[in-house]
Amino acid sequence: MCQYWWSFTLCTVVTFQFAFTFLFQQQERGAEAVSHNQNQTHQRWCLSEFHKLSRKIQGGIPPLVDHAQSELTVVYNTCLCSAALSQLSEAELLLSQATERVIQMTGDDPISSDPPAFWRTLLKSVGNTTFNSSVQHLLCLQWALWLAKCQLKTIQEFQDELFSLSETLSTELGDDKRSSERGKSSDIPLLVMDPRRLIELLQTCTFIAQGAERLSEGQSSEALSGLQKASSLPAPRMLLAYTHHLSGCCLASMSCPQMALQCYRKAVETDSRCVCALYQSLLIYRELGNTQAEIQALRLLHSSLLLPSATEPPLAGAALLSPSVLLCSQSLNRLLSVPSALSVLHSLAQKCVLYGRVSEGVEYYLDLLAALHSDDQHGVHEDPPLPRLPELYLEAGAALLTARRPADCMALCDEVVGTTLELLPEKLVLEEPEETSEIETGAVGAEGEDRMRMLLWTGAAYLLQGHCHTHLRDWKQAVTHYTRCINLLVKVHFKKKGDADMVGKQGTNLCILQRLKGLSLAGRGISFSQTDQLREALRDLHLSLQAAPDCVGAGLWCGEVLWRLGRRQEAAACWEKTWSFTAQSSVEGLRLYLQEPQTGPLLDSTELQHRIQELGPTLSA
Amino acid sequence: MEGRCAVETWAEFGFSGTSCTPKVQLGFGTDVFICTGSDEVYVFSAKERKLTAVLQFPGPVSDLVESHDKQVLFAACMSGVYCVSSQFLLSRVQSSLADASSSPSELKISSEFLLVPEEGVLSLLLVGSVLLTLSQRDTSWILTLYNCPKQSASSSCESLTSFSLPLVSSVVQDDDEGKTGVRRRPVLICVCSGDATPLPSSSTSSSEVTLTDRHIRLEPVLFKLLFGVDAALAKSPVILCGLPDGCLCFLPVRLAGSRPRVLHNLEQPVVFVGASAVMKMGLGHAQCLVAVGELGRVVLIKTDKGGPEGGGNTAGFTERCVPGPVVCGCVDKNCLYYSTGSDLLRLDLSEGLFGQEGQERNEETSSKTDAARQSPTSLSVCRVVALAEPAHNPAGEVELLGLSVRGQIQRITLPLEKEDTGLSKMPSTQVGRSVRDLLSAIGDVCDRASMLKTGIKSKNQILKHLNQVLNISFLLVAGTNSEENLIRCHATTKWSRLLQKDSLNLTCVLDNSSPYVLEHGWTLSVTVFPLSYPPSAGGESPSTNFSFPFHSLPAGESLEVSLPLAAAGVASFPMTVSCSLIFSLSSLLGEEAANFKGLQCSCISLPLNTLTVDWLHALQVSSPIDAQKMATSQCNNTATDTIQTFLNSRRIKCSGRGEGGGENASKPKREQFSASVRVLSELVRDMLVVKSSDEDPQGPKLALQNVHVSLLEWLLSEGFGGVRTGHQGDKMSRSVIHARGPNGHTVKLTAKEVNVGEESVGKEESLTTVEVQVESSSIAAVCGLHHAMLRRVQTLLQRVPERAASTKSIRSLGLRRALQRAEHLLQQIQQIRVSGAFGVGASTGQMTRSLLAVYRELRENPLLII
Repeated sequence: MCQYWWSFTLCTVVTFQFAFTFLFQQQERGAEAVSHNQNQTHQRWCLSEFHKLSRKIQGGIPPLVDHAQSELTVVYNTCLCSAALSQLSEAELLLSQATERVIQMTGDDPISSDPPAFWRTLLKSVGNTTFNSSVQHLLCLQWALWLAKCQLKTIQEFQDELFSLSETLSTELGDDKRSSERGKSSDIPLLVMDPRRLIELLQTCTFIAQGAERLSEGQSSEALSGLQKASSLPAPRMLLAYTHHLSGCCLASMSCPQMALQCYRKAVETDSRCVCALYQSLLIYRELGNTQAEIQALRLLHSSLLLPSATEPPLAGAALLSPSVLLCSQSLNRLLSVPSALSVLHSLAQKCVLYGRVSEGVEYYLDLLAALHSDDQHGVHEDPPLPRLPELYLEAGAALLTARRPADCMALCDEVVGTTLELLPEKLVLEEPEETSEIETGAVGAEGEDRMRMLLWTGAAYLLQGHCHTHLRDWKQAVTHYTRCINLLVKVHFKKKGDADMVGKQGTNLCILQRLKGLSLAGRGISFSQTDQLREALRDLHLSLQAAPDCVGAGLWCGEVLWRLGRRQEAAACWEKTWSFTAQSSVEGLRLYLQEPQTGPLLDSTELQHRIQELGPTLSA
Repeated sequence: MEGRCAVETWAEFGFSGTSCTPKVQLGFGTDVFICTGSDEVYVFSAKERKLTAVLQFPGPVSDLVESHDKQVLFAACMSGVYCVSSQFLLSRVQSSLADASSSPSELKISSEFLLVPEEGVLSLLLVGSVLLTLSQRDTSWILTLYNCPKQSASSSCESLTSFSLPLVSSVVQDDDEGKTGVRRRPVLICVCSGDATPLPSSSTSSSEVTLTDRHIRLEPVLFKLLFGVDAALAKSPVILCGLPDGCLCFLPVRLAGSRPRVLHNLEQPVVFVGASAVMKMGLGHAQCLVAVGELGRVVLIKTDKGGPEGGGNTAGFTERCVPGPVVCGCVDKNCLYYSTGSDLLRLDLSEGLFGQEGQERNEETSSKTDAARQSPTSLSVCRVVALAEPAHNPAGEVELLGLSVRGQIQRITLPLEKEDTGLSKMPSTQVGRSVRDLLSAIGDVCDRASMLKTGIKSKNQILKHLNQVLNISFLLVAGTNSEENLIRCHATTKWSRLLQKDSLNLTCVLDNSSPYVLEHGWTLSVTVFPLSYPPSAGGESPSTNFSFPFHSLPAGESLEVSLPLAAAGVASFPMTVSCSLIFSLSSLLGEEAANFKGLQCSCISLPLNTLTVDWLHALQVSSPIDAQKMATSQCNNTATDTIQTFLNSRRIKCSGRGEGGGENASKPKREQFSASVRVLSELVRDMLVVKSSDEDPQGPKLALQNVHVSLLEWLLSEGFGGVRTGHQGDKMSRSVIHARGPNGHTVKLTAKEVNVGEESVGKEESLTTVEVQVESSSIAAVCGLHHAMLRRVQTLLQRVPERAASTKSIRSLGLRRALQRAEHLLQQIQQIRVSGAFGVGASTGQMTRSLLAVYRELRENPLLII
């Protein structure tokens, strides 16, 4: 009697399950048309129904061999749905419950808790039963869960068994197919995803994850061999592209940039959405110093990042379980990561301006500012982070000035000044933080740091405005703005702690401070020299050279002023010294607005040389 | 606190055991949404004071938020965020109202309204088109941003980004949650910089951004200090999030690469976050942020002038503790209202905030009041569990909408608080701006005040003016009958010679002896018309009107105007000069009168006295030498004006012909007409004595010596009828005066003493009389002068007191004679009339001649005036 009831219940359950599976597959087929979001809603709904079903089975039916296949199929479906929705712990729980019941069915003793050993014995014990294949399906799920949880070591231990699963399953499923062809109404329940497809996916993903892991551990050649294997397996385009991309990364780390570039190209050819390959090739060009190619790559990267599908690839047709769930190891993510469209745009703009494509660069800067002000910026996390917004303004301003658009530059600088001016401190003590004390000071230090930055931004804005007026040959206004900059900079008191070569470290606040001082004093000196205030000019230029000795403009103009004052020998010495500096120093790492202006009054070096030569005979005479 | 709160319970609906903190939200016009934490959301109409609808959600509702255009209501439910449009609600409510059933309509919100299928959303916020949800996962808070399309009633939202914040485990929270099972709602508000443009979504709607308690505009400096320069530069709104674990986090919404960061930690569940103006500057944005913790910790965040190292502005966090527990709160311009469950309290933030500085500044004066202020004042309203944002009713009282623990919606009206807060300190940049604002405001007020003042002043002026006018009007109206008017005219005639042409000018003098001032707006109007006029004028009186508007005539002063009366030989005398004063209303109102068409011609005309200019006034008296000349060669005037002479001679000839008849025309010596007046010399003497006694002390003697001369003098110079002649200067002590009339004819006035008496009567019976005889070749002149003389003598008689009847016989004698003469003349006239009527042998010329003879006879025998 009781037995009858059980079987009745199970029958109803199974028919229900049929219905859901059917519905699910129906939905899957039409998935292309439905948006991602709704698809997920639907999955959620299916999952909750599956959950109800499995709860009913496990609560209401004793673990009996007769119904094992149906039950395990329900578990498979439920787990897969859970995993697809990234509810891994839930899937894990379900799976362990199911295996426990299997053990109860077979009547074996509780076995070891070590996962590979556990599964080995389990497989052995169910070896000849009817639900052998169902248990193997569950193993596939276990594999997927291991992969999703990045337990690569476990997979490594169990790899051979796992990889042999595909062969056993394919033969068995062939039998299944035959039986299902025999009668549609047979009570073998349907699966939401073909286990063979699942295994293919798992294999490729395993190779990829392992490759990434090895690469991060420095075993590039081993990683490369595994990835080569993976690239021959049948897999979705995206995963194939990943294998090529990772191979490229391996080659790059083995210092074969050209071969790496080849691999990256292959990756992009396989899947145009593989922007990470574009990014990596860009890094290689940068390393090789091929600026034009780098700019090209940046442009390409930016435009492909702006494509709507670039960041979120749509769910691949039939695959319920997306590879992104399985591939979540940090080392892999690091290799696949791509900076945001905005940072790409920023580096594109910067590169263009630095390497002579000024007008293009200016356009990119303006695009960047427009994008930052558009409504659809919603705190997307940037990695690497973009420079702070005022710095972007100042860079854009510097670019505009280089493109001879001083009015636009001044407007941007005004905006920066307007924002920061009210917040500037009356005086500020600059302490170069020592490595140890940095952590302790914490929030207070950060606040002081922010104030320092704000002061430097404002100073830089004044400096740029000074440059603009210099460009417009409005010397009086230029002097005013340079003076404002200088007045601001002298508010900073530098407390010397460590070594003297702090100034030399590029990017530190002190370096920026000195650079700003040098440039603003030089600018003011040059402006004075234009209005024939030669004494003031000489004083400022001397001070400028003290603050920033590598300032070319200051050196040349210092000589010029000395020449005009009749101190020709000194002038010649000054020029010679400046030229010797020019050869040495480089200002690559500095921000655009800390570069020397290209727009002010210029001195012709050859003409100066002539003067020195003319001076020569008198010297000897 | 003297005043008491008025609590008005609007509706009551029971609610029990809630799973989330209740909430009262204003929205959809006058509708109020009440979310008690159960499955139901009540819609209460504040206008109709009744529950209009109940929204039945599939699960407990934890938060409600409205779209900026108040068209859509978002509700966070256990199973996701639902979205109900107001149109849907309205249509259902109205259909249920049509049923005339008083019960509220129940609306079941099914999954078709599901917008975001995110589970366990605790709090919602809408920023532009971005919907933020905050939910709690195991050990973290998940803040998710959804892109919410405009017409989002049906379509679903797209998830933009999601942030997770670690949950700071708090003992307080775990304990409490374990006990009551109430989920606390995190507080989400949106803060914009005060100088940033409003959100695009709300700017598209017609109205200005409505600053609800969840959207705050913060003072720019404080905004920059708290949320960074980048957010300010990007003009990004910032989400401020007060979590039940005590964290106060913020996240710039529209800034690339922004992450949620912790602003402050209250170390107790955040119950309320809001903004307050504190300083009563109408700059439209809040000056400080307020966060209130459950255990009564109040944190005020504001700009501090002068940081620790002498550096500019810093953000200052001021913590205070008030007796808790705080159940709910809301903030006003400068007050925080919070409920502890057993009482509703008010905390004055402005004093609390500046308390310390205030004490430093003037400790002795203000410390007492500060201490009183810093402690919250009880408003004596208990059991409030939820408060909506405060509103000000027209009377300026603060109105709070609260929900009591028993499910009563209450409107709590707070009594007015006296404004006696002192000066508050402000950042210097603000001071400059606000001083400028204040100055311009003062300027505006000043302008307005002075404008109003001038308006009032001018109205006063007009009223005063009108008062004067009315006074004068009454005076003049009352004085028309009596002879002695306080405002009257008198005149002087004078001949003047201009361009060889003599003309008679009348100088009219308006005397104001009244106590009132004749102000601007009055016009003296002088109308001159002859008493009789020649038939050539066509039956109409050829009157001439002169108006003299004048500015002001103070009391006791006089106005003199001159007007040409007549050119020589043109006018006919006597003339009547009637004077009147005219006041026009338009002058009273000035420019405003231009607006009223009807006013422009509305005037008050008040008659003054009437003057008469007669022949005697119009005489041109010749000096004795002139008179000699004239006597010898009347027609031979000086050679220079031969034309005038010619014309005059012509006229004389013509008139002579007319007067004398055809036969006299050729005669060089024309016919002389004459008329005379006899006056009793005694009478004259008396009269002149009376007259001269009050004028000239020497006069009487002279006058007594030769009465006839002085009578003549009097006749010529007396200002009769208010008119004087202008030639008073030269003494005319002569008995014979030659003069020229206004029509150019010479006249001769002779005065002599004559004894009148019947020959038969004795000597003593005879009377000395003065006879004045007028002789001229012009009959018009003679008539006119005679008439004028008679008129004067008439007045003379009126003036002189009545005498005893000593001269009765003489009088009777005279009367008898006169009667005889009159009878004789009557006979003659009758004869002429008879002959004229029958036309027997008499031509019209003859008839006129005989009529003239009668007339002359009438004139010639003067009546003795006694």
